[in-house]
Order: sequence, then structure tokens, then C-alpha cells
Amino acid sequence: MGVPIFITAVTNCCWIGADNCVILGILGTDLSWISKVQVNHPAVLRRAQQVQARRTVKKEWQAAWLLKAVTFIDLTTLSGDDTSSNVQRLCYKAKYPIREDLLKALNMHDKDITTAAVCVYPARVCDAVRALKAAGCNIPVASVATGFPAGQTHLKTRLEEIRLAVEDGASEIDVVINRSLVLTGQWEALYDEIRQFRKACGEAHLKTILATGELGSLTNVYKASMIAMMAGSDFIKTSTGKETVNATFPVAIVMLRAIRDFFWKTGNKIGFKPAGGIRSAKDALAWLSLIKEELGDEWLKPELFRIGASTLLSDIERQIYHHVTGRYAAYHDLPMS
Amino acid sequence: MAAATRTAPRAREIFTTLEYGPAPESHACALAWLDTQDRHLGHYVNGKWLKPEHRNSVPCQDPITGENLASCLQAQAEDVAAAVEAARTALENWSTLPGARRAQHLTRLAKMIQKHQRLLWTLESLVTGRAVREVRDRDVPLAQQLLQYHAVQAHTQEEALAGWEPMGVIGLIVPPTFSFLEMMWRICPALAVGCTVVVLVPPASPAPLLLAQLAGELGSFPGILNVISGPTSLGPVLASQPGVQKVAFCGAVEGGLRLLIQESVWDETMTRLQARMGRLRVGRGLDGAVDMGARGAAARDLAQRYVREAQSQGAQVFQAGDVPSDSPFYPPTLISDLPPASPCAQTEVPWPLVVASPFRTAKEALAVANGTPRGGSASVWSERLGQALELGYGLRMGIVWINAHGLRDPAVPTGGCKESGSSWHGGPDGLYEYLQPSGTPARQPSLSENLNYDTFGLAVPSTLPAGPETGPSPAPPYGLFVGGRFQAPGARSSRPIQDSHGNLHGYVAEGGAKDIRGAVEAAHQAAPGWVGQSPGARAALLGALAAALERRESALAARLERHGVELKVAKAEVELSVRRLRAWGARAQAQGHTLQVAELRGPVLRLREPLGVLAIVCPDEWPLLAFVSLLAPALAHGNTVVLVPSGTCPIPALEVCQDVATLLPAGLVNVVTGDRDHLTRCMALHQDVQALWYFGSVQGSQFVEWASAGNLKPVWVNRGLPRAWDQDAEGAGPELGLRAAQTKALWLPMGD
Repeated sequence: MGVPIFITAVTNCCWIGADNCVILGILGTDLSWISKVQVNHPAVLRRAQQVQARRTVKKEWQAAWLLKAVTFIDLTTLSGDDTSSNVQRLCYKAKYPIREDLLKALNMHDKDITTAAVCVYPARVCDAVRALKAAGCNIPVASVATGFPAGQTHLKTRLEEIRLAVEDGASEIDVVINRSLVLTGQWEALYDEIRQFRKACGEAHLKTILATGELGSLTNVYKASMIAMMAGSDFIKTSTGKETVNATFPVAIVMLRAIRDFFWKTGNKIGFKPAGGIRSAKDALAWLSLIKEELGDEWLKPELFRIGASTLLSDIERQIYHHVTGRYAAYHDLPMS
Repeated sequence: MAAATRTAPRAREIFTTLEYGPAPESHACALAWLDTQDRHLGHYVNGKWLKPEHRNSVPCQDPITGENLASCLQAQAEDVAAAVEAARTALENWSTLPGARRAQHLTRLAKMIQKHQRLLWTLESLVTGRAVREVRDRDVPLAQQLLQYHAVQAHTQEEALAGWEPMGVIGLIVPPTFSFLEMMWRICPALAVGCTVVVLVPPASPAPLLLAQLAGELGSFPGILNVISGPTSLGPVLASQPGVQKVAFCGAVEGGLRLLIQESVWDETMTRLQARMGRLRVGRGLDGAVDMGARGAAARDLAQRYVREAQSQGAQVFQAGDVPSDSPFYPPTLISDLPPASPCAQTEVPWPLVVASPFRTAKEALAVANGTPRGGSASVWSERLGQALELGYGLRMGIVWINAHGLRDPAVPTGGCKESGSSWHGGPDGLYEYLQPSGTPARQPSLSENLNYDTFGLAVPSTLPAGPETGPSPAPPYGLFVGGRFQAPGARSSRPIQDSHGNLHGYVAEGGAKDIRGAVEAAHQAAPGWVGQSPGARAALLGALAAALERRESALAARLERHGVELKVAKAEVELSVRRLRAWGARAQAQGHTLQVAELRGPVLRLREPLGVLAIVCPDEWPLLAFVSLLAPALAHGNTVVLVPSGTCPIPALEVCQDVATLLPAGLVNVVTGDRDHLTRCMALHQDVQALWYFGSVQGSQFVEWASAGNLKPVWVNRGLPRAWDQDAEGAGPELGLRAAQTKALWLPMGD
């Protein structure tokens, strides 16, 4: 074998690239360049495969990483049967995610480890705010909105939903985008809608759910990510957890590259939130190393990285239990959330 | 980039820094295996460890710590002989087994590897310093897939490869930087088709020995895979052992890369590259979270030297992170702004270096990429499929990946062209490397010591008038057929041609070095046009030539008759020649195919591409039929040719040229008459001839093989043995088609 030669014979860069001529302002009036972007699907798949196999952490590193992962969790309950009692329990778990004695054993009990937020339906925001207040902590409450999960309601009610959730005390709003606008290529309309969501949020943080499982292609994922960031989202989020395909690595890589491109062009750091299907401690570690590899350590903080999950926390606690005691925990050893 | 080994900080600290920690992979089982040999490795021959006394041994060291792991015996000539003997004995049984039985055995070996994979990957990573995940996640599974793929091939051998037989004992010489996987690429097809193998591995390579042991412990057929370790200087010893039918030799491989980047995306690509390189982790191979291991002091020094030289020649050097100069590691390095004419830009890039240079247009990139003597593999990254495909087809490389890099699959042939060698591994092409048409006589290992390479064919005998011509003088105009017309030879002299009664028949031109040069030039000029023709168009032209030959039948037959062939036989020869032209035209239409690859979304195209300028020295016998039988497959596959016709009877070939002149594009076929040895010498030593077929003497064959090493052109020689040109198996068999074109694997992953 001789010397392999790469050739990048394109006007756009290697695999994900925006036309570099366009100045990306927050107001980005010219969106025509968006339609020219191409994502190299096979290359993304390969990178996704590699990045999972190439990094692993063990022992104390694993324990520390898992505790860190806890601080990224948006502890979530989004069920039809949510009531104030299970929301209250969730909030308590958010405040005390890991058993105190386990934290002591790791000398981490004074680090004030809590989850990053709790995430509920709009109608449960009041319950969550009350419960967290009673627990004496300032963990933010995130509310889904805009016709979650399908977004198939009138714009007027979607906007109203945001306003009501904010009124009830939600400081973060997870909105879903209108998928039909993506699938029909109406990028300007999508931009305008998200702008209106942004305005309706007021002071609250805007997390935009792209529902990537329903966008049809990775190229659309990149385009939707860019539009969402240009329109003023604080976070872009993979999925609602209700689609058939949720947070996958290939999709995440495309979104992270979009975040990086946006940062290189505007200097603004936008957060990333994978959600749906992240259940095991091992998954969480893989997501952390993905962020570390793709965006770097500066993204590894709750202001820029969240994991939307409901059952993940108990698996992390189980792993920490094992790390500290050397035994695998029984179900009754750990408090439920 | 962070060094992967450091002392353990507590969880509190890690919680803040979120750094990676060591993720050591235990190599206890590798050490335990070395212990079973008392840390003293010999050779593995005939299903047993061979540890002869009174041999030198070399230490096998951990490339990172320098710790002595074991001592390895160095083979001597008699050990090589013992291994070959074992392989010869095993061959009798192994080669005559039904393919299904061989398939079963290979499958068992695959399972054996599966059972001991941990031992295999830790041992390989420990000794070579390569990153363990590369060995564990890629090499070991691929080794099993290779065995399974070739088991399937063995199973269908009787049906799919009828008319072919295993060559016999195969010698394999492996260079120091090879992984055990590269050995597997070569031994799997050899074993599958019924050959047995002797592998000469460099000293201190335990993984191949372990594999031989695993194969040996299957019980049956112990001698099919024998591994001896010793210096490369034993290569000639291995090659000259009686019974060794083929020696596969691979030179050392450099793992560096050349990167061509279009100017319009240069800045952005460099930024992205550097960002990614900055996150690569260098460290001990046996760490699960390391991207790059070490390859020992020699590789590091080589890289260091190259970087220093490049810097002194004006290059910019980017190195990710800082690795202390006394450590065994070398950081990933990106070199740019290297002047194209500087010495560093011409030499092969060592591992782990990447040399980037800009280009303006795709055409320019193609010229740069093809402008090296190497032709291994390349990858093209582009968003525009049309452009990427054009480059993929245009690159003179064995493998081209579009928007991917380094993919391998047992079903896809892997190989190269130009100086990257002409042998193939994997896929159908890999099998033919170890097969020969049934009935091929065994290779005589002894080379003539008397042949003087410096003088062979150097002098051209001078020719004088040779008496009165009898009978009608030759019909073709006097001269060499070059560039589509008959031209006077540079030497301005002639050689007499006698008929079977010893009477002077006529004179033909005495060609020389300058004429060969002119003919090769003409052939190169004609090449792009001919390659661009569709197979159908080529078939049509061959058909037209066949028809012209048919019209000329009586004249050609008379010509042959004058050289002692019975009229009936002569007529049959002409008729058969006509048929050959038509048959190859038809065959040219069905070439190349798509391969299915597991785990790849998208096809892999197996293309059959022309070799380029093909030089052919025709045999003396069958002056018309052999000439046409060689010419037709060469043309059908898109080559342009320079031929030396039969020495005793060149006139029929020249007669065919009269039709060629009117029917085929100029320069496509060039026929040079003259002293065969001299013309052979000129062609074998010509660096711009891409392949050479020689049918002549034993000495000529030996010279051709020796001289062609200059540009590693593929050669086909007959070693002085006659060939039954009138039989379809030898005169028009699949062997000709195989040799008349080269394979290219084009990987096309897909997805939006």
C-alpha cells in the first residue's frame, strides 16, 4: 500500500459546511444559503461509530464523570398521569439525586450536587415550583410548550402556552418546532415562528426541540439547527422523547457541528440537549465524551449542556453505589424518584 | 492532546477538570501465554514449536517501556528448509481435499480466533504499541471475517474456479511494520484454494506465531501454516527452496498521509483539522481511550528527521500538544507550505505525519495525485458526487474511497498499482494470486547464475546482404509499424528473414532502443482515446479487424505455408485468429461488477481498468495466431500495445498491420521487428511501460523479471516453455483476460 491521499475537492468544507461567504447575524435576513448546505451522511455515521468506541473512563474518573452527568440532567416527567404527588417526588429527587452517604464516601457531599432542572408539562409547572420552593432550593423548572410533542396546534395557542408557563414560574421553555415547515423547506417561516417563541419567553430560556427523528435527513437537521440558533434559541434539543427515533449519535454530531460553526461565525455559545432514550450510566458517559470531543470542555457545564432523562438518574446512582461499596445495589437500596 | 498516563487525582478534582483517566487493558493473558513458552519463542512448524539449538536470539521488547518480554530465535537456512518441507508434505493432502473440507477447517480456525481473541489483541497491542481499540475493534473481527469469506470461496471452488489449480507452497515475507492482519489477507486466500504457506516474519513478532499455533492446535492438517521468524536476508533462501511456487513479498509501509485541499476551502479545512488533531490522545497502546500508540524509537526518529528537514525546506509545522522528546511517543503532526520541488515533498511521508498542500482545480489535483510512482489507495472527499466520481475513476490507485477512508472488507480486493505493487488480496482477485491454470508446469526455483544482466541483449548483430530473394517479396511495406504507419528504423538497417527451406524470404527493419522509445510514446498518445471508447466500440473495431483478416485469409495462409506449415493447418490458424479477435471483443463488454459489503451502506465497484502501455514479446511459434491471441485481449481491455512479433516469421504480423493502419486509431498498435533480446531489454528497462508479457527463452524470462523490478511493472513470462496457442485454455483462457487489466475497488458509501 502506498500513501493514501485525501482530496477535498469542494467549494464547501469537508463534510459539514456552510457557505462561508454569508455573514451570520442574529437577524440573518438572507437565508438562501441554508438551502445549499449538505451533510455528508456516511462520514457522520462513521464518526458516530468511532467516537463511541474510542473513549472510556474507569474507576474514580468514572465516578466523578457520573456525578458531573447528574448536574446536567433535566429530570423529566412527561406523562398523562402526572399529578402533584409524583411531581413533588421528582423535585425532591432533583434536590437529592444521590444518597448522602455515597457522596460522603466520595468526599463530594459539600459540592451541592443537584440535577440541572426539572422538566414537566405546562399544567404541572405550579406543582413543581411549589415543591422546589418547599425543598428550599433554586433548581429551575423547565416546561415543555407549543403543542408538545407534535406542535400541530395553532400558532396563537402555542404562543399563549409559552406565556402561561412563564407566568406560572417556568424559567426554561422547551418548545417544539413546526416540522411541516422544515419538510416543505420554509426556512424563513420557521425562523419567524421561533423568533415569536423567543419573544414570548421573555426572560425565560428558550430550548428548541428539533424532533430530529421526523426531519427526514441529516441535512435538514443541520439546517433546522442553524435556523433555531439564528432565531435566538439558548439551547437546541434533539427530540421530545415521543418520536420513534430519539437522541442518536449521528444526529448529535450534526447538531454539535452546527453549534460549533455558529460559534466560529458569531462568537455565541449555544447549548445542546439530547433527550429521549438515554437510560444507562454508560450512555451518559458516552454523551459527555462526545461533547468533550466535539465542542470541548467549555461546553461541559449546565448552562451549555443538558441531558433530558427520567430513568437515567437511578442507573447513575446504582453505578455510584457499586463504585463506593463494591456491591451491586438491590432495588430497595436506592430511593425512587 | 493529553498524555494518557498520569497519577490518580481524587474524584473531587476530576469532577472539576473532567479529564480522561487511564483505562488500562490488562495484558496478563499475553504475558501468561509468553510464560507457556518460558519467554522464549521459536518457530511454529508442522503443528509444533520448533526451537533448534545454537541459534541467535533477539529480544522482543515493549516499545513503550523497553521492558524485555521474551527472546525470539532467529531462523537459519535449515529452519527455512524444514518449514518448506513441512508445507510440501502438507500440500499433498491439503490441495487434493474437496473444497468443502478446507472450508470447514478455515471456519474452525475462525472460531478458534474468536475464542482466544483477547489474547490475540492484547499480545499484538503489547508488542507493537498500536492502540488496542484498533486491534480489538477492527483487526480481530476482520481476521475472522477473512477466514469466513475464504471458507465460502473454498466451498464453491470446484464450481466457480474450474480449470484452475492451487500453485503449491507459497512463501510469504513480511516486513517489520506489518500487523498480523496483513498476514491474514495473504494466507487466507492461499489456504482456501489449497496452497500451503511458509511465512517469514521479522524477529520479535509473536502474534503471527500465536496464529500459527491456533491453526496447529486444530489438530488436522498441521503443516499448512508454518511461521518462522528471522531477518529479511533469509528471503532469497526461502525463494530458492525447491517446491516454493510463489513468494509474496511486501516492503515496509509508511503510514503518513498526503492531503490535497482545494484552495477555496483551505483555511477552513486547516482550522478544522487542527481542532480535531488537538483532541487526539497519544499514549500506551494498551489503553482503551487512546487514539494513537507508539511504534518504537525507529519510527519516532524517522518522523523527527522528516519534520526537521521539512522545516529547513521552508514548511510550516503544526503539532498537537507537547510530547517530551525523550518519550517514545510522537505527536500527530500537520505539515503545510512544503514547496512542491523540495526533497521532502517527493519522499514517502512517515507515520504519524500529514502533509497538506493546496490545489486549484480538480484536474490539477488529479495530476498531482497521479504524479507519483505510488498507487496504493486514496480517498476523495466532496459534496458533489459527480466530481468525486470523476476523480475516483481518474485516480491511478488500487483503492479509492469516496467520502470515507480506510474501509476494508474481505469481499473487496485490496491492492495497488504502479510501485505499490500488483498483487491483490481479498475478493476474487485475491484468489487468483494463488491459482494457476490447470496443468501449468511447476516453477523451477533455480535461477541461472550465468546470465549477465548488464550485457543481455545489449549488442545488436550487424546485418549484411544475405543473398538473392526467392519467391515474391513480402507484401507489407518495409519498416516498423509505429504511430499508425510504416516507418524506417532509427538504425537504418535490416535483418533477413528466411523461409523453412533456408531461402531468403525478405528483409524486415532492424528496430532499436530509439524505435521502442518512439513506439511507447505513440502508444501513450493513443491511450486516452482508446480508454475513452466504450467496450462496445472497441468490440466493433476488433470485429472490423477480424473481417479484414478474413479477407486476407489466402495471402496469410500462403505466407505461413512458406514457413513450413501445411496449407490446411495454415488456413485453420488464420480462421482461429479471426475467431479470437471476435471472442475478445465480446468478452470486453462484460467487465467489472458491484460487490456487496456487509455493514456498508452503498456499493463497492470492482472496476477492471487498462494497464496502460502493454509491451508484448510474441513467441516464435504460431507467428500469426500467437500474435493475434495476445493482441486481442490487450486491446479489448483498453490497453495500447507495443509488440515484438515472432522472430523467425514476423511477416504475417506486419501484414495484419496493414489492416490495422486503416482500421484502428494511430498508435494503438505498434509493431517493432528486430533482435528479440535487444528489443526485450529496451522494453523491460523502459520505466513508462506499464506491463510486459514475454514469450521466449529461459534467459529472456529471467532478464525480464529482473529488469522490470525497476518500476515494478507486472510481468508475465513463459520461462522458455511452449504454449498451446491453438487450444482455447492456453490461447484464449481467462488467464489472458486477468492479466490484461488491473482491478480498482471504488467504495461508494451512500446516504443523505
